[in-house]
Amino acid sequence: MCGFVCGSGAGVGYAVELKGVTKRFGTFVANDRIDLAVRPGEIHAIIGENGAGKTTLMNILFGLLQPDEGEIIIDGRPMVVANPRVAIGAGLGMVHQHFKLVPSLTVAENVFLGMEIRSGVFIDHRAQIQETERLSRAFGLKVDATERVGLLSVGIEQRIEILKVLARGARIIILDEPTAVLTPQESRELFQTLRGFVSQGMTVIFITHHLEEVMAVSDTVTVLRHGKKVDTRPTAELTKNELVQMMVGRSISFDRRRRETVTGDTVLSVRDLWCRDDRGLPALRGVSFAVRAGEVVGIAGVAGNGQTELAEVLSGLRRASHGSFRIGARDLTGASPRMIRSAGVAHVPGDRLVRGVDRQSTIAANILMGSQNTPPWERRGLIDWPLVRDRSRKLMERFDVRAPGPDTLVKSLSGGNMQKVVLAREFSHDAPCLLVDQPTRGVDIGATESIHDEIMRQRADGRAILLISVQLDELIALADRILVMFSGEIMGDLPGDDVSEESLGLLMAGVRTEPEEAAVA
Amino acid sequence: MEILERLFNVALIVATIRTTAPILLVALGGSFTTKAGIFNIGLEGQMLVGAFFAVIGSVFTGSAWLGVLCGVTAAVVFALVFVVLVVTFRANEVVVGLALNILAGGMTISLMKAIFGTRGSIVGQGIVGLPPVRLPGASQLGSFGQLFSGYTPMVYVAFAMVPILIVFYQRTRLGLHIRVVGEKPEAAEAQGLSITRIRYIASLLCGVLAGLAGAHLSLGYITMFTENMSSGRGFMAVAVLIFSNGDPLKVLAGCLLFGFSDALALRLQTFGFPSYLVLTVPYLVALTALFALAYRSRPRIITETMDSMKRLLRTPARPPDTTRTGDR
Amino acid sequence: MSEASRRIFGQALAVLFALMLGTVVIIIVGESPVRVFATLFEGAFGSPERIAGTLLQTTPILVCGVAACISFRGGLFNIGVEGQLFMGGFAAVLVGIYIPLPPLFHVLLGIAVAMAAGMAWIAIPAFFRARYNANEVVSTILSNYVAVLLTSYFTIFIFKRPGGWSETSQILPSAYLPEIFSFSRLNWGLVVGLVLAVGVHLYFRHTPRGYAVTIMGQNVKFAEYGGVDIRRHIMMVLLASGAVGGLAGGIEALGVHHRFMEGFAPGFGFDGVIAALLANGHPIGTIGTALFFGALRSGSLLLEVDTNASREIITVIQALIILSVSAEFIMRRRGDSMAAERRWKF
Repeated sequence: MCGFVCGSGAGVGYAVELKGVTKRFGTFVANDRIDLAVRPGEIHAIIGENGAGKTTLMNILFGLLQPDEGEIIIDGRPMVVANPRVAIGAGLGMVHQHFKLVPSLTVAENVFLGMEIRSGVFIDHRAQIQETERLSRAFGLKVDATERVGLLSVGIEQRIEILKVLARGARIIILDEPTAVLTPQESRELFQTLRGFVSQGMTVIFITHHLEEVMAVSDTVTVLRHGKKVDTRPTAELTKNELVQMMVGRSISFDRRRRETVTGDTVLSVRDLWCRDDRGLPALRGVSFAVRAGEVVGIAGVAGNGQTELAEVLSGLRRASHGSFRIGARDLTGASPRMIRSAGVAHVPGDRLVRGVDRQSTIAANILMGSQNTPPWERRGLIDWPLVRDRSRKLMERFDVRAPGPDTLVKSLSGGNMQKVVLAREFSHDAPCLLVDQPTRGVDIGATESIHDEIMRQRADGRAILLISVQLDELIALADRILVMFSGEIMGDLPGDDVSEESLGLLMAGVRTEPEEAAVA
Repeated sequence: MEILERLFNVALIVATIRTTAPILLVALGGSFTTKAGIFNIGLEGQMLVGAFFAVIGSVFTGSAWLGVLCGVTAAVVFALVFVVLVVTFRANEVVVGLALNILAGGMTISLMKAIFGTRGSIVGQGIVGLPPVRLPGASQLGSFGQLFSGYTPMVYVAFAMVPILIVFYQRTRLGLHIRVVGEKPEAAEAQGLSITRIRYIASLLCGVLAGLAGAHLSLGYITMFTENMSSGRGFMAVAVLIFSNGDPLKVLAGCLLFGFSDALALRLQTFGFPSYLVLTVPYLVALTALFALAYRSRPRIITETMDSMKRLLRTPARPPDTTRTGDR
Repeated sequence: MSEASRRIFGQALAVLFALMLGTVVIIIVGESPVRVFATLFEGAFGSPERIAGTLLQTTPILVCGVAACISFRGGLFNIGVEGQLFMGGFAAVLVGIYIPLPPLFHVLLGIAVAMAAGMAWIAIPAFFRARYNANEVVSTILSNYVAVLLTSYFTIFIFKRPGGWSETSQILPSAYLPEIFSFSRLNWGLVVGLVLAVGVHLYFRHTPRGYAVTIMGQNVKFAEYGGVDIRRHIMMVLLASGAVGGLAGGIEALGVHHRFMEGFAPGFGFDGVIAALLANGHPIGTIGTALFFGALRSGSLLLEVDTNASREIITVIQALIILSVSAEFIMRRRGDSMAAERRWKF
């Protein structure tokens, strides 16, 4: 069946080389002339913040994306990796972040999906099970080949994804954020497995933003930042702080804004909030904080640590499983989006394409959303469209939305302009509390500056602003206080005035400063 | 008491099996498309053209089996049109399905008038029906013999399809792939399976079974074709598919339920219950089942307890998918 | 070309294509296409009486089409218009027979009861859709069958006209919906239908609730985020749609047949739904498509008499048109529309 080349050994040449790889998405440069060299038989970590370009780079290597420039060399042979099948043929295997397993199928069926072992017309389940068990034993990945995947834990699902890759004969294994879904115990087991691979002559590349893991298991680490490679160094030579420094770096593009001190009353208070994500896993675990009038509280953290769910609970789009939150004295736990809006909350959602706009409608129709029942937008039972258009025009000017007019369909706008429409709408509600999730994602630098101006203006007007962002420099520039979220908990509450990106980076990477917390592996 | 005895006896079971057969066949056909992730509401139309062209084929060739072949071909053509429009042209499945049902209705009546010169129904005219199958040894079972023997072929086919489909979905590559395409298309794509090709195949298989179901209607017990013969059985099959998700055993259960209510309704008519009221029973059963199962599958709300919170805090939780807001 | 006119052009091409296919079908059936189309045209527009007959057929199609438009606007599929029409018609007839009132009031009450009956008939499917996401396509279609059977039962066994076969007594003259012309049964229902179409269009465009429904139909997640109470709006849309379906039945009962019988107004509900689909859910466009289908129906009556082709040829043509236009864009699977969600796959 599939052969396994054992012990090719770390000898001459690299297992994987990327030279000058560049990838652009429109004007956005995801990878900027990146060089990567991975020696055979090593565990090579690629680390960086959100948007650093790690996944893009590996997608290029695996044939899911094509580079605009640059070379890919595998085992000394330059290749054009046109699609994953070519990559698999060259001995690469990728374990994605989002597992692509079929819940109602068994482990063995999933492993052999697309390359089923057949006897005659039928699938030879027994052979598949046997082979799966053989692989499982050979690589120390304990699975029950006959179990249905839907019943298994996420940690075991990952093992299955790895088995899939092994069953197709991979010798160079790429893992994308493998520990994002594992418990510390499972992470330790994974690292053992990885070391086992390497001792059998395979090569491992893994993408992560967890510092501890990089330190614990990798031989070499490459740091990416804003699409560029910062450096590649043997892990043993580095300290955690040096790593964070490289990850987060002197990337401050925004000066800290000058501001008045905060004097207002508490507007938003959150107490011991818990909630589950769509899979039923806990997304928020006991979050508590408060935001005062005229204050910007930033929520820092790598995407996916509960920030989105937090915004959803506070805006009524998701139910909390425990805890409460209030606006002023009003308890809004479990309230509908409409009630929360009328209580004075505006929400700039993180996924603007799905939640934030209706692309089939005009800019004016989008601006109207939320206000359609309040005068003067509505007058004597009818919508005053001329007024809507007029206000939209003014808002378009104020927020610099580049479009022919308020009757332009939103779907013809660029991402940045769409975002400005969302901001224009939400910021014009005069709401005492603003939930702002990734306000400047996909927005160019000039517009970002003006959005930041607008946020500070709202702050000066006495609004309570919760600013969720994956961009540290934005938070440092704007926030009075920064709370760091990791794994659904708040790891720390730092003053915006006196905070370093390193300290934020450590918290974001799950490193608590308190000694009694068990650090990851 | 006597009435109950007269009502519920072996003959009722036999009748149930007979009335279940067409719904079962068409529902099993629909299971292919359902499992492949397509909402196919055009089953009614496929069955109808199957019934009509089975009669045509039978009349013009003098053979019942060639008639069946004709019917199946017609249904497959309809299925092909459906899948081309829905998968390749990305048209709305509900619209296409409904339009095909309307087309089937209009087409069959128009052709009926054109070919036979009559409206309403085609009877006699040299239609050759399918002969009943007599199983050897059934006579030894006395009155229970009729439970097993004496049905027309399609009934046996229908029930035989249940285990066949179970094996098909579990043990063949195509069956597995169809399930994957419907359950998790991303997994299919990631392994290089062509979702389009698999959906085409599923649709064609659906057409085959729907055609057989139609042929059973018109060449089975009653050898005739009437306007709108399928009278909603295709929609009942859709209802069954919605809450069985195409699982052959659950489909069988659902179809037996409807077949039973159908047979019971017919029985009650002979007892003097007004036919119109009694005929509503199968539809009402379908509606009730639909609503009850929608209620049962409502999303549960999770509330944390002191225990669950303690447990979750002890181990750092697994954060959810880390690229919800876009790591590139 | 602007987006809208490009779309209409594309649709027109599709219609032409379908007509070509229809020509083939006609040839298969053994008739001359030219003769068929000419007969259709003459049957529809050949004389003032015929034109009135066309408008007579158009009326229920238009009203049913508007009912369907209302549901489509909210991203929902009410295919049960046929059943709502039957229920509405039956209820109106009962009022017409048994609740004598002065003329204007009698008609108004009949119409009101018809609408209430249509609303009541869709209420349960609507509730289960709003609350538990039960597929409304299947539930409304199934309830059509029940409606037809129930009304037939009541007509034949309880309310039968003595000496008649399968129809009720005549309604009292005070309940008649007045005719417009003396030579035809064309009645003021047509005006009601036209006013309704325009009214619904304006409602969706200019009222807050109409706006909320429109947005809900296009992107339900955005509507929810913006504060629209989705469940309530689903109920409202479907109930309104059912009420208008009932209205269509009331008009037919009080304006045309003046009684209820088995086979009352068959097929208008479905014709209305596909007229609405062809107009892509636009009420004003539905006026045009309903007129088109009304002409086809009216013309087909002459077809049945004068040629060998059956009336159902037009059904075939209608279906072909829908099929070819659906490939174009009728309510295409758009990522964020409710109609496209896979909510029927569990």
